[in-house]
Amino acid sequence: MRKILNVVPLLIFCILLVYLFVLLNEDKNDLTSALIGKEIPVFELPSLKDPELVLENKDLKDLPALINVWATWCVACAVEHPFLLELSNNKGVPIYGINYKDSRKKAIDYLKRKKDPFKFNIFDSSGDLGIDLGVYGAPETFLISQKGTIIDRHAGALNSEIWDQKFRIYFPED
Amino acid sequence: MKMRYFILIALFFFPLELVQSNAKEVYPNLSEQETRRFVDLTHNLRCPKCQSSSLSGSNAPISIDLKKIIYKLILEGKSNKQIKTYLKDRYGEYILYDPPINIFTSILWFGPFLLLFLTLLVILIYIRNRSTRER
Repeated sequence: MRKILNVVPLLIFCILLVYLFVLLNEDKNDLTSALIGKEIPVFELPSLKDPELVLENKDLKDLPALINVWATWCVACAVEHPFLLELSNNKGVPIYGINYKDSRKKAIDYLKRKKDPFKFNIFDSSGDLGIDLGVYGAPETFLISQKGTIIDRHAGALNSEIWDQKFRIYFPED
Repeated sequence: MKMRYFILIALFFFPLELVQSNAKEVYPNLSEQETRRFVDLTHNLRCPKCQSSSLSGSNAPISIDLKKIIYKLILEGKSNKQIKTYLKDRYGEYILYDPPINIFTSILWFGPFLLLFLTLLVILIYIRNRSTRER
């Protein structure tokens, strides 16, 4: 009995070690969005390219789609840009952009220079729509269902691996 | 002697006063009580970008935006509970610094009590053994 008791602390230590090690390795950077299953927050914001044009929820017509939150100051956005182009040009995936806390001129130049994968861009200069969406840093990509609800969110640059894992099944290829 | 205690206790409260006066400079037009609420809220909500830091301890752009929102909501007369719900609806439970009790977090909630219990048990067994030996 005493011998068994002597081993108990060691045993507890080992269990703790394994447990903490597993927790440490878990990737917590991509938080689950609080908006999953909910509708896109109501918005009424100008278009990036045409300040006179007001965009609303009903303008997101082509669904299912991706909503991509981006900015010219965001390095990872430039990294994922070629992949967004590939999705929209080669796979026919509708992508709506939210230009997040950016300068209009810089953003328009950026799209001219690097080509434009977006159906249109909502110009969210104050970041209010970003907050309603629970955005904590660009880039973030939301998956919108046929009915206009949010199915999933990916924080960070999108690539083909994540596309295959999370998003691809929602966009059947012809 | 009394004076010394007084200074010691005063020193304890000094940092909090400093934080409040700082908050007042950056976020004006709040009453004494509202400033205290602002300081309290920003200390007890998590920065979603830098997850081991509170909103008040972070200067990440998102923290600055969220602090502005909290400031705005306080000025609009919203209660602490309403403000927390507002942020929870957008950023999830995670922002609340209020970890849920589930199978993964239970070790954090109950582990210390378990350790205390085990320690007491070991001490008890030790004392018992010693006293029987002495007899």
